[in-house]
Formats: sequence, structure tokens, C-alpha cells
Amino acid sequence: MILSVEKLNLSFEDKSGKRKILDDVSLSVKEGEIVGIVGLSGAGKTSLLRTLNLLQPVDSGTIMFDGLNIVGLSESEVRRIRKKIGVVFQSFNLFRYRTVYQNIGFPLKIQGIAKSEIKSRVLNIVSELGLDHRLNAYPSQLSGGEQQRAAIARALVMDPKMIFLDEPTSSLDPRTTRRLLDLVVNLNEKHGLTFVVVTHDMDVIKRTCDRVAYLQNGKLDFFGPTHEFFVKIESNEVSDFGAPLEVERSFFSGKKKILRVLFWGECTHDPVLWETAKENDVMINILYGKIEELKNGPFGTLIIGIEGEKQALFVEKLRESVFYLEEVI
Amino acid sequence: MIGQIFNATLETLYMIFLSGFLASALGILLGVGLYLCSRIRRLKGLYALLDLIVNIFRSIPFIILVILLIPVTKRVMGTIIGPNAAVFNLTIAAIPFMARLSENSFNAVPSGIIDSSNSMGLNRWQMVTRVLIPETLPDQIGNVTVLLINLVTYTAIAGAMGAGGLGQLAINYGYYRFQWDIVLYAVIVLVVISQLIQFTGGKLSRTLRR
Repeated sequence: MILSVEKLNLSFEDKSGKRKILDDVSLSVKEGEIVGIVGLSGAGKTSLLRTLNLLQPVDSGTIMFDGLNIVGLSESEVRRIRKKIGVVFQSFNLFRYRTVYQNIGFPLKIQGIAKSEIKSRVLNIVSELGLDHRLNAYPSQLSGGEQQRAAIARALVMDPKMIFLDEPTSSLDPRTTRRLLDLVVNLNEKHGLTFVVVTHDMDVIKRTCDRVAYLQNGKLDFFGPTHEFFVKIESNEVSDFGAPLEVERSFFSGKKKILRVLFWGECTHDPVLWETAKENDVMINILYGKIEELKNGPFGTLIIGIEGEKQALFVEKLRESVFYLEEVI
Repeated sequence: MIGQIFNATLETLYMIFLSGFLASALGILLGVGLYLCSRIRRLKGLYALLDLIVNIFRSIPFIILVILLIPVTKRVMGTIIGPNAAVFNLTIAAIPFMARLSENSFNAVPSGIIDSSNSMGLNRWQMVTRVLIPETLPDQIGNVTVLLINLVTYTAIAGAMGAGGLGQLAINYGYYRFQWDIVLYAVIVLVVISQLIQFTGGKLSRTLRR
């Protein structure tokens, strides 16, 4: 466990009194994992990130990073820890009057590392990130995607144990978003780099996250594997990211049963639906279907209507072989 | 007469640029102090004190400040007349002005840049020298430009009180002896100096801003 957070509490005081921002939040990040912190605006995502990065002192709780409780450390110890954590902020925060090269080399320069080594490390990273041709440009001359890659390069150059990404796709167009997500997954797979991503973008969650921490009003509502988070969405327990397809009786005539079936893992590749239907002599009518490509495998959703004598038996059998099944009507 | 105007111009330039240089250096230093005190919780009290002192000095009219400073000037500089005594007065008057301008520029650095610098583990000294100053450099050049142009008029006032330079020339020969052409020449030179400062400062600031 590279990062583990126990019972984190944070509140802000303003004119209307104390406001709870984080309420007993506990979560953990394994080495080499990508964890998404998701939730609506104001749910406390960014505050959580700021506390993890020690920019925001907490009321109570512990944050274990690399085996050390980093809450309540002295300033010099805090600075030492910070050098092991890379942060890419939502607004990128590049230095305005330094070139891309100077920006990326900056964290090394302030540590007094030799010029030649800075050069080789910076050049190494920019070639991996495709920024070679922009080394002498100033941030104001870069596109949003380039600014972000420069910010990522600046975080990577310190060889951090972990990287925080704050709302990485909020200002990118769809193509740049795809490139960014590929980059993150690639860095994760190739270098085993750990990421914590704050986002409300479903694409980011699907494509990059191994596990998801879902915050609602400062409380951790869910923390688990990404596909289980999608089950919650599909079964309407989480409504912040769009409701599942509404199924109404009027869609359908007759005395059919309507089921919502979710596939994940092994069962996605097997013809379980057909087999179970054949065994129980049930007719199936597919009303709706989709497949999401999650990082750890495809995730399928089907809404089916069934007809036949042995409906109840069919449901029971099918439940055993799919990931999740729910009788809608 | 041309010789007199030339010498007076040199004196004026000496006063403007020496006091401008001293006040910029010390003012930015005080500005850094103000900025840091306002951001560090346990130094809030010190900030209130510094803030008050800066406000007091800024609200005293320059001509009155020169009079109030007479004993100090005499002690420090040995005399109360001449360009060097004036440089002392001008610097004292300009430091709080520059401090306030530079503090405002520091406050205008986007908080994200401060956050990301913090998250890189910079210490306070690096924060000032590697982030705050470089990130506000074009603004600080603009501030120095404003300061220098203010000093042009202040120098003329100081001139009327025995500092020498174009101000004294304009008052003594022009105003008291009704030689209006001298007043005119002095004013033209002052305008040219102001224009040159503004032009150079603006250009430098724009170049750095990118």
C-alpha cells in the first residue's frame, strides 16, 4: 500500500458556521494502481487531493504515504515528502516566463542537480511525451494539450512514487483527451507508476481507473473496483453520472419479464444467455445493449425481455453465470 | 545658461536613478516581507504593523516628509541640502510606495502557481527567488517605471527645497527672477526624461511578458 488514508476529516469555517468538507474518508492506493476520485463538483474531491498533497491541513485522521504518517510533519519533512509526489493541477500552473525546457527542468534545478543531468532527464521525458519540438516555447504559446503534457513532464522529471492528476480532461478536446488517457495508461503499464486521478469524466474512469472512490457531500459513498462502480451506476444507486436506461411497461406487450443483465470478466465471452435460454426453453428479446471497454476488461449491459413457462428457473440459472442480474419489471 | 541646464539635468538624473535604484531594491524587499507576513498565520500581527507604517508614510505629503525628516537627514547625511540629502529623502518616501506596488504584484501571482511550487517542495527562500520574483518580473519593471516617473516630480519638489537639479533651477531662475524661458526649458527636459523612462520601461516589460 503506497498510500492509505484513515478517517480523514476536514471542515471549513465561514460566516454560516462550520462546514464539513471531508467526513471520515478512508481509502488506499496500491503501488502501480490507478485510483479515481470521483464525484460532482463540491463533493470534496479537490479538497481531498489537497489534503493528500499536504497543501491543506486536516482536522483529524492519518495519511500513510510509503509507510510514514505524513499528517502533522514539520515543514522541512513535508518538503521532503512532496518531492516524492508529482502533482498535475487542473490549470497546469506552468511558470509563465520560463520555457517548456526550463519549466520541466525546474524541480531538478532547485535541488541543485547538475546541468548535464537535468538536460538528459528532461530530453528523455519530452521525447516520451512528444514535446521535443516545443522545448523553447513559452506556456502562453502552447495549446491546452501541450501545456498539460508539459505539466505532466514536470511532475515526471522528479521520478515520483505517485502522481496526482486534478481534473485532467476538463479543458481538453475529445482527441487530446484520448491521447492523454493513452499516455496515463502507458506510463502506468510501462513504468508501474501509481496515479490518483480526480475527475468527473466517465471516460477517464472507464479507460484508466483500477479502482474508484466515489465521494458524495464529503462522504466516501463507494470505494472499490471500477466495474463494481458501474454496477452501482447501472442499478441506479449512483445517479450523479447519468441514470441507466428507463424501462417502462409500455415498451412491451404481453406478460413478459424484463431483466437488466450485467456482464463482466469471464462471462462476457461466453454465450451464457443463449445456453441458459435453450436449457430452460425461454424466448429472449433483446431490448437494449451496450459494451463499455473498462481498463480491466469489457463491461456489458443488456436489457432483455423473456417469455416462457420456466421464467423463474431461467432467472435463477442466469443469475449464477452473469455478473449481476436485476428484474426490472 | 545651457551649461546650467545641463548640470541641473545631470543632478536630476542622479537623484532620480540613485533613489529609484535604492527604493526599488529596498521596496521590493519590504514588499516580499509584507507578502510573506500576510501569508503566514503567526506573522499576521507583524503584517498589521508593517501595513500601518507603510500607509502612514504614504499618506504624508512629500514636502512635509522632507521637513519632518530634517533631523534624520542631517544626522545620516551630514547636510540637508544638495542632491545627496535629497536622495535620502526621496528613497525614504519611495520605499513604502514601491513596497505596496510590489506586494500587489506578488498577490496577483495565480494561487495555482504558488500551490504547484509548494507541491514541488520549495523552501521559502526558493519560493521568493525562484518563483515570486521571476513570475512578477514584467510587473515589477512596470512598477519601477511608475516609481521613477513619480520620482521625476518628487525631485522637482526636492529641488525647490534646496536639493539642486532642474527643480531648483526652475524655481530660482525661472520663478523668482521671471526668466520664464528657463522654466520652459526645465519642464521640457523633465517631460523628455519622463517619456524616455516610460518608453524604456514599457518596452522592457512587454519584451519580458511574452
